[in-house]
Amino acid sequence: MSGDWVVPLGDAAAGDPDTVGGKGAGLHRLVDLGVRVPCGFVVTTDAFRAALTDAAGTVDTVEAPLRDLPPDAPIDVVERAASTTRARLLRAVAAGPVLDAVRTAYDELAGGICRVAVRSSAVGEDAAGASYAGEHDTYLELRGRDAVADAVCRCWASLYTARAVSYRAHAGLGAAGAMAVVVQEMVPARAAGVFMTLNPANGDRSTVVCEAVWGLGEPLVSGAVTPDRFVIDKISGEVVRREIATKERSLVRSAEHPGTVEVDVPADRRDEPCLDDAELAELLELARRVERSAGVPQDGEFAVAEPGGPARVQLLQTRPETVWSARAPRAAAPSGSGSALSAVLATLTRGASAAPPHEGTPDHGG
Amino acid sequence: MVADRFPSPFDIETPAGAEGWESMYDWYHLFGPERRELDEGRFWFADRLHHPDVLHPYDEIQCECWWQALGAFNTRIFAMPPAFGVDQRILNGRLYVTPVAAPPDDVAARAEEFGRRAGHYYERWDAIYAEWKEKVTAKLAEIRAMRFDPLPDLEPESTVFDHVGHSAGFRMIRDFDRLVLTMYETYQYHFELLNIGYAAYLTFFAMCRQAFPDISDQSISRMVGGLRVELYRPDDELKRLAKEAQRLGLGDRLSGTEDAATLFASLREDAAGAEWVADWERTADPWFLINTDPGHPGGYHTYPTWADQPDIPLASVREYLRRLTDGESIDRPTDEVLAERDRITAGYRELLSDADRATFDDTVGLARQVFAFIEEHVLYIEHWMWATFWAKSHELSRALAAMGEVDEPEDMFFLRRYEVAEAIYDCVAAWSVGSRPRGADHLRPLIARRREIYTALRAWEPPPALGPPPSQIDEPFTVMLWGITTSSVSEWLRADGDDGTLRGTAGSPGIVEGPVRVVTHPSELPDVQPGDVLVCPATSPAWAPVFARIAATVSDVGGIMSHTAIVCREYGMPAVVGTGNAVSSLRTGQRVRVDGNAGVVTVLEPA
Repeated sequence: MSGDWVVPLGDAAAGDPDTVGGKGAGLHRLVDLGVRVPCGFVVTTDAFRAALTDAAGTVDTVEAPLRDLPPDAPIDVVERAASTTRARLLRAVAAGPVLDAVRTAYDELAGGICRVAVRSSAVGEDAAGASYAGEHDTYLELRGRDAVADAVCRCWASLYTARAVSYRAHAGLGAAGAMAVVVQEMVPARAAGVFMTLNPANGDRSTVVCEAVWGLGEPLVSGAVTPDRFVIDKISGEVVRREIATKERSLVRSAEHPGTVEVDVPADRRDEPCLDDAELAELLELARRVERSAGVPQDGEFAVAEPGGPARVQLLQTRPETVWSARAPRAAAPSGSGSALSAVLATLTRGASAAPPHEGTPDHGG
Repeated sequence: MVADRFPSPFDIETPAGAEGWESMYDWYHLFGPERRELDEGRFWFADRLHHPDVLHPYDEIQCECWWQALGAFNTRIFAMPPAFGVDQRILNGRLYVTPVAAPPDDVAARAEEFGRRAGHYYERWDAIYAEWKEKVTAKLAEIRAMRFDPLPDLEPESTVFDHVGHSAGFRMIRDFDRLVLTMYETYQYHFELLNIGYAAYLTFFAMCRQAFPDISDQSISRMVGGLRVELYRPDDELKRLAKEAQRLGLGDRLSGTEDAATLFASLREDAAGAEWVADWERTADPWFLINTDPGHPGGYHTYPTWADQPDIPLASVREYLRRLTDGESIDRPTDEVLAERDRITAGYRELLSDADRATFDDTVGLARQVFAFIEEHVLYIEHWMWATFWAKSHELSRALAAMGEVDEPEDMFFLRRYEVAEAIYDCVAAWSVGSRPRGADHLRPLIARRREIYTALRAWEPPPALGPPPSQIDEPFTVMLWGITTSSVSEWLRADGDDGTLRGTAGSPGIVEGPVRVVTHPSELPDVQPGDVLVCPATSPAWAPVFARIAATVSDVGGIMSHTAIVCREYGMPAVVGTGNAVSSLRTGQRVRVDGNAGVVTVLEPA
């Protein structure tokens, strides 16, 4: 157990999910594919274990309060045990060479002055079959080596939030395992959002569905704002549907201090689409590359760097889509037909559905 | 308060001055008290796709051709499972139609018959289509060979020495019947392949929609279209003539604005010019035998062909020449269209389950085969056959006028076909006997009155539909061909236009803004300016040259398979089709935004 504590995203070592967690490995794949992602590094699971081992002897010591919980423990008991565990962890890792390595890595990233995002990357998350969506911590717009080291510790601790513990229990994933942390340059986002390489409302695999808001994407992910919604045809590249929301507030980089601030969207931009056709085309191209390479439908997050324009779309993460991917693609014809004639007969005797619908069917997903 | 039904056909009043209009049409084509109960319960819509204007009595032949033939092939020959024919009625000079559904209980049995019968055609499509072209070309040769000359004072000697054994008068009677019957026969062939072709095309549509609910109509069409069909040949010939003019160094001489007759006369004065005019004349038959009706080509006797009015194709040649001079390419990007077709077909195919791919391949293959016919039959029948039929009808009308049976040629078109047969008999009998026909004296007041009625009917704005609409419009042919859907009908009921938008079918993608140019007759085409938004009842392939100039098209009628939609997709410009009333609600010069993705036209400048 003496692997590197910190590895750049583009490094071969960043391809091993046991070392860099699901998110880190996903980002490494993107770098490998030549997809634009913000520069960054991963604080590995080895670093996590080393930090705990140095300070507290073993991971077991830290996790002890949780280990003793009965499987059907009430939520407040879980919450108390989780809180004790987190406190032990934060105390245990506060000093030591691991965090120094993190500070050095930050200094080397754009001269130690850039703003970064610090994101949890748990082992086992983001794999096909379990999304862990939003179960662990993320910190945005941080600046300074100590702030980053502190955020890394908090990410480690978020392995033991009550909801993460419950999620693991629910998903049958057992013990906490280990946590890697991704540190990436912060994209000054003009707009950001999420995408899926199928339509989650109907399983249509010929579309990329994208939702986006002005500014950073977090309010969208947390469901705090109604995003614009675009349905793009993967094959023809057409934007087949646009639903433009009124976007009153947005989360942006704070100008004076590190961190983010929620602001009013200027009146003349509220009802404007936050992505233009060129950006949608770029996103489509990136999404298709990722899906092709992975071989299964994907979902992910993206940001459009200020001030917009060509080559500004960056992917922040991708992972296998977990719901529709488990099913077969939608059927085109009645099973066992095979010939055009049987398809014609099926169409002519089906009545209503034979006619091409005049309007798109509304759907709600994402 | 939104009405839930359209007016009953029995409550529609006769426009002032049009009293007695019923006498202009055959009794079986009218709403009548005997069928009131049946007809009042049906939903009729104005067939502005085929007949946007008042019908002349003679032109009722056009309606009868497809009324009978479409019905027989759907109902009796192929046993189209869900659909019988399309019934017709004429009201105040306008054609209203209603699709007749097969009884639901019969659909399964009909499907079995259809499988054997249409299946036979699908398996042999290309061979049957090759035979079809021969059959139709033979009919075309037959009516081209007919002549309707004024009857001679004395029969030519050949009548005697060749032992012909019958008279020119008899032949006039016979040939008029043959002329009409040949058109009827051609319409049998028209529907021999058309609706089973559409069924296969629709199936491919349904299949794509099933697998990819978000797929656009345009994407599906693009997987099937882009073939090297003969329908594009007339336009390609114009491009070739433009290149020839350039090669012969005639560019400057063609760049003026003089009319075709003056230009051709001056060109004939030297060798290069004469060579080009000779080329034009060779090309004109048959490639300029192109009807210019808005909507259904050949629907009326009143519209000229390109050959009749060379100014129309000449305007396009001049436009192509200008683009050539500017260094632009004028060739249709057929190879790119085909490559794109194959690319997107492979793209969607890849997303299907393994089990579906074989059906998809077979169906897209059949859809492409039938689509070539769907596009090309328009050239053979709507253009060549109808152009020739109307030309021969005009020839007959001139002969009748020359013989004094009617006062002027146009009078004949105010007679129903059975009345024309009567007039011919009257004329021939008098000619034979050496006596005087009752003819013009008898017909004069009738025709004068019908001219008044015709004018009064044209001023009448027909309601888009009659009777109770069905809760759901799902008859596939209605939706695809006429562009009439549940939502367009409720739009009609709402008396739209209040919010400054018109809704139709998204015929071709893209969004542009521009000034409106309303065009209801091909004679107005030369007024179209670059960047105009063409607003018309419908377009026909004869209008193709104008597409090089405009920014978008908005039509009153048509679905995604209408010529407007097909040609706009081909040219890569937005189209909103089937808006119902764009022509009557938009004004030339008004700025509009045409959204061909959503099927919406927004008025940016209030009227």
